[in-house]
Amino acid sequence: MTPLGSASDVWKRVIEFLFPPETDKWLAVFRIGLGLQVVVYTLFLRSDWHSLFSGTGKGLVSRRLGEAITSFDSPLIPKLGWLVFLGRHVGIGEETVLSVAWACLLCMGCCLLLGLFCRPAAIIAWFLHLCAAESGGLLAYGAYNFMTMALFYLMLSPLPDRYSVDRRLVKTKLRDPRLLGFWRRVLQVHLCFVYFFGGLAKSLGSGWWNGSNLWRSLIRPPFNLISPDILVRFKYALPVLGISICLIEVGYPVFIWMKKTRFLWLVCILAMHAAIGLTMGMYLFALVMIVLNLAAFGVGIRIPFMRHPAGGARDFTQSFPKKQLPA
Amino acid sequence: MISKRVYAAWFGIHFFLITAVCFAGLFSLVAEGTTILPSALDTYARKAELLAAWLLGKQAAASNPIRRSVATYLHAAGIQSGYTFFAPNIPNYHKLTLELYYQDGRVEYESPHVRGKAAALRLDSLLDRLADARYEPLREVVVKMLALSVLREHPGVKKIRATFGSVSPPSISDFEHGKGELFQPMFSYDFSLREEGSSGR
Repeated sequence: MTPLGSASDVWKRVIEFLFPPETDKWLAVFRIGLGLQVVVYTLFLRSDWHSLFSGTGKGLVSRRLGEAITSFDSPLIPKLGWLVFLGRHVGIGEETVLSVAWACLLCMGCCLLLGLFCRPAAIIAWFLHLCAAESGGLLAYGAYNFMTMALFYLMLSPLPDRYSVDRRLVKTKLRDPRLLGFWRRVLQVHLCFVYFFGGLAKSLGSGWWNGSNLWRSLIRPPFNLISPDILVRFKYALPVLGISICLIEVGYPVFIWMKKTRFLWLVCILAMHAAIGLTMGMYLFALVMIVLNLAAFGVGIRIPFMRHPAGGARDFTQSFPKKQLPA
Repeated sequence: MISKRVYAAWFGIHFFLITAVCFAGLFSLVAEGTTILPSALDTYARKAELLAAWLLGKQAAASNPIRRSVATYLHAAGIQSGYTFFAPNIPNYHKLTLELYYQDGRVEYESPHVRGKAAALRLDSLLDRLADARYEPLREVVVKMLALSVLREHPGVKKIRATFGSVSPPSISDFEHGKGELFQPMFSYDFSLREEGSSGR
């Protein structure tokens, strides 16, 4: 084979990998899951919203400080200060703007849940969440980056899906299955990066091999939901759990792609996130990671010991007429 | 459908940036000497971290349009930081204790607090950041803001002493032997209302 022919073959394989035909079931799970996430996020922060984002000395730490730090990275990054500035120009006070932003975010979460005005709802939810995450940059933690990332992918994905109210109200054509496949692939590859680098970084710490990191993470406030007296009883299980977490995360990019191990790995990773949520109180983090995993690898998965139609393979081409599958 | 080449090009650039961010985070941990890797690698890791930062445009001037564009995209996509949560080890946590001195001579002890669990995680994240040397220039102003948030709920206070410190939780065997956590003060500030100023110690 000539070098040109070989390059062409590689390119063809890359395109096949990036654009597998998919149904929009995964997108429905992604949309509904993120809608729920946004609703829970806004409700969780309801009582502290003004305290966290006030810039007029009524809050915990002035919003302006977080925004100044964000602006150092780039003044183009959206922030709540923009909305407050706009509000001031039309005679609306800061408190009202913050309340409207909160209500709007809650409303967009509900719209995503129902599938009403999917695309505008996804864009507005992404924008408002980004503004809040960046304005409270000093107070932000990992879950918010995952929410921004997920909403970013959702607004770019080919919405609406067939289960949305939008699709029932306006009879639109089914989206290109290869485009649906592309955005699912983006999500899948991104999760592989998340777990591989997360697992690798953990593996470099001695505390994950002897269980002390699990102990330390479970007894430090505000994650100390379980009494240390109870944890001590399971002290011999902690090193096993610590090593298991490292192996599950590092092995994710390999075993999640293999048909034989995909279900097992997905169950392990979902169990890990559920445990983080329940034992450490990181409900938002747990929920967003579960939604991401279910949308990326959960939908259409082959469950062992269960009968699957047509051999159970994930042959998504069967769901679409041939004319809808562009070359 | 827009040309597959456009999507493929975006995919390549997007994941190139994610890779650079992830490696920058990973090399930073190694360079800080907090991993089980030999310390001889620290210098190389620092160089590799700088290379990753250069790829992200972070070495350019703050006003550089490429740096700003990359930073804006990273933040917009939620990929501006790596995935090294709880790694390589779980550090000590941090605590801010406020001594409230009332005009009548009473002294009360308080900590900044929020109502919800989600906001509590944010406050915890802020306190851990304050201990980081990179946030040293912000410490006083942030501590002052946190002290003010408590002061609003306690009228009649004339002076606040804010003590920030690191809390080292006991190991399993220490806990079994009845030992508790250890608080090590790192810095403290006195805030006086009358003078509208502060003095750090």
